[in-house]
Order: sequence, then structure tokens, then C-alpha cells
Amino acid sequence: MADFANKTAIAGIGATEFSKNSGRSELRLAVEATLTALADAGIDPSEVDGMSSFTMDNNSEQEIFRAIGGRDLKFFTRIPQGGGGTCGPLQQAAMAISTGVANIVVCYRAMNERSEYRFGTPMSGLPPTSDNVVFAYHGFAGLMTPAAMIGMMMRRYMHETGATSRDFANYSVVARKHAATNPNAFFYGKPITVEDHQASRMIADPLRLLDCCQESDGGVAVVVVSAERARALRQKPVLIRAAAQGSPAGTLGLASFYRADISPRDECAAAARQLYETARMTPKDIQVAILYDHFGPTVLTSLEGYGFCARGEAKDFIKGGNIEVDGTLPVNTHGGQLGEAYIHGMNGVAEAVRQLRGQAVNQVAGVHNVLVSAGSGVPTSAAILGIDG
Amino acid sequence: MAYGGDAGGEAVAGRGHNAPCSNRDFDFFYRGLEAEQLLIQKCGGCGALRSLPTPACAECRSFDWQAVPVSGEGRIHSFVIHHYPPLPGFETPHPIAVVDLAEGVRLVAAMDGTAPDDLQVGAPVTAEFLRRGDVAAYRFRLS
Ligand SMILES: [Zn+2]
Repeated sequence: MADFANKTAIAGIGATEFSKNSGRSELRLAVEATLTALADAGIDPSEVDGMSSFTMDNNSEQEIFRAIGGRDLKFFTRIPQGGGGTCGPLQQAAMAISTGVANIVVCYRAMNERSEYRFGTPMSGLPPTSDNVVFAYHGFAGLMTPAAMIGMMMRRYMHETGATSRDFANYSVVARKHAATNPNAFFYGKPITVEDHQASRMIADPLRLLDCCQESDGGVAVVVVSAERARALRQKPVLIRAAAQGSPAGTLGLASFYRADISPRDECAAAARQLYETARMTPKDIQVAILYDHFGPTVLTSLEGYGFCARGEAKDFIKGGNIEVDGTLPVNTHGGQLGEAYIHGMNGVAEAVRQLRGQAVNQVAGVHNVLVSAGSGVPTSAAILGIDG
Repeated sequence: MAYGGDAGGEAVAGRGHNAPCSNRDFDFFYRGLEAEQLLIQKCGGCGALRSLPTPACAECRSFDWQAVPVSGEGRIHSFVIHHYPPLPGFETPHPIAVVDLAEGVRLVAAMDGTAPDDLQVGAPVTAEFLRRGDVAAYRFRLS
């Protein structure tokens, strides 16, 4: 069991606007988000001594550090697995701070994913690294995009559980409902209906357009410090109760087709076991969940993997209104990546912090603990964040 | 110790196949297709079959393996129909399946040539060989 539980806290959050064309460099987005997060925490940028991000982020830590006027960077790490990495930097920060390696760690993700570096395009013509030969082996079959890979996983899940495209629609409708009342969401004021979802075109059958996250430009950063330091700062400390990575046997990057259960659930369950043990909690202790929705249907498997529903029950849990703001487990109250923006889940971490501080636009009453997950269908990560009292 | 993946050892044009992104763990598979054979790895240590090529056996950790032919008969475990964006080398909509082979291992393969609406989980399928440009390939069709 990890022994950094509750020893560190998120003291500041920052973000740029979310758009389809930021009009400025990715580095500038990263620097803006970082400086906003530090100002939110009330920490002078010269105090930063640690940085953690995703291997896919195009902004080097030393360039951000140069721009913010940093003095002595002592700890810098990167987490692979694309969107599976969301909570990895939080775990890195918690470990580094609780062991005395660093004191002030900025976790960041900034991208012009829509205007400069679109994901989801077919992958080919790559050097034969261990990952690329697997992508190529599946690409050889015409299986080339994340949507098709997740679609393959979800088709089996539909077969085993009876979930349908209309069940997937029910999640998309909730995400867009939450986004509709969030002024920072790209789809602010634009709710959809089940019929809109059912009329949207197929991308990778069974996945329709309105099952897919947006493509976005934007940046998000959070500042992690010791819990002790956080209590002396201006914002209510949001404790990192637990953070974990999960990649059980047979889990591959968008290619776990050779394990018994190909649905994107085992990796969530693997992270969940560690989270609940470290935080000494159960799913019943969680009031809000931020569940990664690169593709909305994976929220169903995440609800099950993180223990909020039994296997196959997520479709009825969603249909019953449980994941809405006034439900038993509000999910993705910012609108998720379908509704707010797709910043590899870091905007979801920021939403978890706002819910715990009581600063969310779709605020849930009585929030003490929030579970945040990263992308599933790949080696993943997750965290439980919470407040005292 | 025999390293099946190194058998031949030609350079590419000399690797014996024209698949665009491969290494010495995967070459045997594409070479098999050139001979219209569907090959998978069989552990020389414990005899376990394994699919999705890998250098060592997860059961007994042996590096010793051989490429053995399989029947090409199986059932659809799952499938997806790719609609968008356009795929290099394939018409869309393009069906792809995860297939449980009769031998107990899985393969992921194209099912172009089969109407997307005809795919069903559990349906029996058979492998067939074809060429895509200068690359030897295979796909499944309904049995
Ligand atoms: Zn073996």
C-alpha cells in the first residue's frame, strides 16, 4: 500500500480557454495555465522545483520553467499512455513531495490538438519500436484509429451485457447537459437529445460521432505541495488521498484483444484496488466521479471497473439518472471531454478540485471525496482527491 | 535454442515480406502470409501457443519457439466497422474482427469482402489469403 495518502494536496489550478484554434503556441498555453495555477495557489513561480506531464506533451519542462522564471528545477518526469496518463503526474508529485525530492510540483498538459496535432488519424509509416509493430500488426487489418479500437472493445461489452447504442446515448446526453450550463465548456448552451445521438453518423460502429470526445486546443495545470504547506495557502487544500497506475496482465495500448475480457474495464479495476486500499475507502465514500470519456461508452465500463456498479449494470445506473448533478453519483459535472474539452483528462482533475472547494458551476452539495480516472483501454491511472472535515 | 523469428534472416527486401513496419519478432507472421500460411508461435519450452507475437513465453519464460500453421477456422469474438476517417488501403465502411481461433488463440483481422451487416459475434469464419498491393495479407470471411 502506498504511504503517501493525504500527505500532499493540490493547492492551485489553472487553465486557458478551450477552443478549436487557440491562436497561440502550445508552449504559451502551458505557461499561461502554469502561471494561473500558481497565482490561484498564491505561490511565487520561482518556488517551483518539480514538473510532471505526459510523454505526449510537446512542451518541455525546461522551456516552461524558463518562461515562468524558475530557479532550480530538481524533479521532472513524464507519464506515457496518452490519456491513460492523466493521474500519473499526480502520483509522481505525491511521491516526490512526500519523500522530500521536491516541494512544489506543477502537473501540466497543453495542446493544440485540434489546430495543430490531430489525434485519431490512421497510424502508419513508423519506425519498428515495440509499440509500433503492434500498431502496424493491427493496422494491417485496417484497425488504425482509437475510435475503432475502442469500438471493438465496446462491441463485445454490448454482446455480454445487452447494452445498446441508446445506452451510450444516455451518457452523451448527460455530458452535454452538464456542459450546457458550464460557460467554460465548448458546448455551453448546446444540450443534445438521445435522438440527436442516434442520428449522428457512424465513426466506428458501434461508436457514433456523439460518442466521441471533441478535439480541443487548451492547457490545464495543477500545483501540488505538501498538505502542511497547502493548509497555509489561500485555497482550501484538496488532498491527494490516493493515486495509482493500473496495467494488469494482458493490458496493451488500445489493443487488449488477447486477454479474457477485452472491454476497457480490467485496467480500471486494477487502479481501483490500489486507490481504495491506499485511501482506506470504498466506492460508497465517493460523492462525485470524473470518469475519462475519450469515448463516452467507456464511462459504462469505468463505472463498473471503479466499483460503482456491478458488471453489466452501468447502463441501468445511467438510465436511472444516478450520474446527473442531483443523482447518487454525479459524473463529469463539467460536461466531460464530450462536452467541455479534451485536454487528456486534466480538465477533469481541475473539475474535481472545484467540486471539493465548492467552486464548480454545477456544484454538488456535500462533496468530500472525488474519484478521477484517466483513459481506459490503455494502461491507466486514477486518483481519489478529498477535503478535510 | 532455436529462434524461429530469426529463421531466414534475410534483409528486407530480404526479410521475406513487404509489411511496412515489422521487427524480428513479427517477421515470421508476414513471411507466412507470403506462403499463404497463417502462422502463430508455439513455445519450444512448454508447447503453449501464443498470438500477438512476443519474444518470450509468458507461461514458462522460454525464448525458444517455432512458427506453426493454424487452421484459419474460428468464431467472431468481437468486431467493429470503421467508417471514418478514410483508411489508407481499404474501402470504407471496413469491417475488422477479433477472432477466437479453433486452436484457442485470437487473431485480429480484416473482414472486407463481407457485408458489414452480416457480421455477428459468434459467427464462424475462415481465413483466406490475398495480396494488398505488394503485401501478402489475409482476412476472414463467414464460413
Ligand atoms: Zn512456454
